[in-house]
Amino acid sequence: MIKVENVYKEFIKSDKNNKNVKFYADDDISFTAKEGTIVGILGPNGAGKTTLLRMLAGILEPTKGNVTIDDLSYKTSELDIKKRIAYLSGNTKLYNHLSPYELFMMCAEFYEVDKNQAKKRIQELSSELKMDAFLYNRIEKLSTGQMQRVNIARCMIHDPKIYILDEATSGLDIIASQIILDFIKKEKEKGKLIIYSTHYMEEAENICDNVIMINKGKIIKEGSPVSINNDLNTTNLRDAFFKLIKEEVNYE
Amino acid sequence: MSKLKYVLKKELKETFRDKKSLAMMLVIPIMIPIILIFMSYIFDTTIDKDINSYNKIGFSYNMSVEEYEISNKMNINVIKADKEELEQKLSNGEIYAYIIKDNNKYTVVANSSENSAYANSLAKQYLETYKEYLSSNYLVEHSIEPNEVINIIEIDNEIKESDNFMSQYVISYSFLFIIMAITVSATYPATDATAGEKERGTLETLLTFPIKSRDIILGKYLSVSLSSIITGLVSLLLTDVTLMFLPKMFKTYENMSLGFNSNMILLSTLIIIAFSMFISGLTIAIASKSKTFKEAQSSLTPLNFISFFPGMIAYFANINSSVVISLIPFLNYSLIFTDVANNNVNVLEISLMLLSTFVLTSIILFIIIKQYKSEKVLFNS
Repeated sequence: MIKVENVYKEFIKSDKNNKNVKFYADDDISFTAKEGTIVGILGPNGAGKTTLLRMLAGILEPTKGNVTIDDLSYKTSELDIKKRIAYLSGNTKLYNHLSPYELFMMCAEFYEVDKNQAKKRIQELSSELKMDAFLYNRIEKLSTGQMQRVNIARCMIHDPKIYILDEATSGLDIIASQIILDFIKKEKEKGKLIIYSTHYMEEAENICDNVIMINKGKIIKEGSPVSINNDLNTTNLRDAFFKLIKEEVNYE
Repeated sequence: MSKLKYVLKKELKETFRDKKSLAMMLVIPIMIPIILIFMSYIFDTTIDKDINSYNKIGFSYNMSVEEYEISNKMNINVIKADKEELEQKLSNGEIYAYIIKDNNKYTVVANSSENSAYANSLAKQYLETYKEYLSSNYLVEHSIEPNEVINIIEIDNEIKESDNFMSQYVISYSFLFIIMAITVSATYPATDATAGEKERGTLETLLTFPIKSRDIILGKYLSVSLSSIITGLVSLLLTDVTLMFLPKMFKTYENMSLGFNSNMILLSTLIIIAFSMFISGLTIAIASKSKTFKEAQSSLTPLNFISFFPGMIAYFANINSSVVISLIPFLNYSLIFTDVANNNVNVLEISLMLLSTFVLTSIILFIIIKQYKSEKVLFNS
C-alpha cells in the first residue's frame, strides 16, 4: 500500500527578470493506493505528475510531508522499499551495450534475486513477452517495440508488489502502447498495485480503477472514473478535467 | 549487502564494450612511441646536420693561400664577392654567412635562419683556426714552440651517460606523455559513466534500484580507475620498449642504455596507479556536474593541459622534487617520475605522494557521493 501524506516538492526556477523564485511542483498532495488496483495520475504537462512519481520511486525527496510504502519510510528503509517497487518512465532508456539477458541478470543481482531463480524467471518472461528471438542480441540493435518489452520485463524480474509507471505509453505507436496496457491489466489481476501517470485521459478511463487529477501541483479531483463523471455530470474524463479547470484556461 | 561488485561489473561491461572507450584506452599509448621517435629524429638531424647544407660562406676580401687551405680543410664553400653583393646573397639565401675584413678586424655577418646560425658558428671556427695558424707562425718565427703556448692547458670533455641532457630530456618527456595519456583516457569513460548516463536517461533507472549512491559512485570510480591504469601500464610498456630501441635507431643516444630497470618499472607502476586513482576521481567529479556528454568533455579539456604543464614547467625551470612538492597534485607525479628515471629515489617523497593521493581522492569521492544525493546534479533543475 502507498500512503502519501501532505507532500510538497519545492523547486527553484528563473522568472522573467532572471531572478530565482521558489515554486511548488507538488503542493499538499495526499492519497492512499491499495494492492490490486490501477491508480491513474492525470494532468497536463507540467502538472507535477513526474515529480510525484519520482518521489514515490525514491528518486526525489519530498520537501515536506511523508511517502510510506507498506508502512515503510524512505528516510529509514530506502533499500527495502526499492526492492518492492518497479519504476518505468517514458524516458527510461536501457544499456545499449548489454543484451536483454545480461540486463535482466544485472537487475536480478541488484534486487538480490537468487541466480537460479533469476534464470527461471528470465525464461518465463522471455516466453510471455515473446523475447526468445532477441534475448542475447545487443539492446542497441532492437526495435522500439522490442525495447519496450525488454523494459517491461526488467521491471518484472524481481516480481515487485508495486509498479510506478510514468507516461509509459507516451510517444509509442499503437502496438507498443498496447503491450504496456496489456501488461498493466495482467499485473493488476495478480493483485499488484499500479500507479500510472498519463495525459491521455481516454487511456486512463479504460484501465484505471481510481484516478487522481492534478493541475499546477494540486489535486483537483479524486475518485473512480464513473464517480468523477457522475459528480461533474460529464460523459468522459477529458470533459471532466476541462470542467474542473475552466476558470484557469485561456481559450483565446 | 554491498552491490558495489555488481555496479562495477556493469560499468566494466559498458566501458570494455564501447569502441570509443577501448580506442581511448589503447590507441593513445601508441602515440607515445611515435612522438618519442619523432623527437629523437629531430634531435638527430639537429645534432648531426649535414655541413653541405650550411657551408656556403662569403668572403669580401682577397684570401691568402693558407686561408684557402684552411677553408678547404673545413669543407667551407667559399663565395667571393664585394660586401654589397654578399649582403644581397645572404638575404636571397645563396650564402648563409659572410666575413668582412677591416685591417686586422674580421666580422662575421649572419641572419636569424637555422642554416645561418650553423654557418655563423662554422665561420667563427674557421677564423679561430686561422688565428691559431697565424699565432703558431709568429711563435715559430720567435723560436718558441707553439704547443707550449697554445696547448698550455689540456681540456677534455667526458659526458656521463646518466647526466646526458638528451637522455634525461627524452625520459622526462616520456613520463609526461604517460601522465597525459592517463588523463586523456580517464576523460572518456568518466564522461560516459556520469554525464553520458544522465544524457542517455539510464541514470534514472539506476537510481530506482535498491543500491546505495556510495556503491554507484565507487563502482563508476573503480571502473574508470581500472581503464586509466590499463592505459598507464600499456603506455609504460610501450615507452620502455621504445626507449630500449632508440639508441639503436639514433646517433643522439649512441652507447646509451635508456630502458628501465626492474626497480624503475616497479616504482613507475606505483606512480601510475596513484595518478590513475587521483585523476579518475577528479574527472568523475567534474563530469558528473555536467548536463550532457559534450558539456562534460568541454569541462574536462583544461584538465588535459593541467596534467601536463606543471611537470613541463618544473622541468624547464629546473625545479626539483621536495617534501612540499610531493604533496602537490600533478607536480608531484611528474617530478617523482623524473627522480625515478634518474635512479634518485626518495622513499619519504614517494610515501607523501601516496598519502596526498589517498587524502585528496577520498575528499573528492566523498563530495561526489554527496552530490549524487542532490537532485540538482541528477536532474539539473
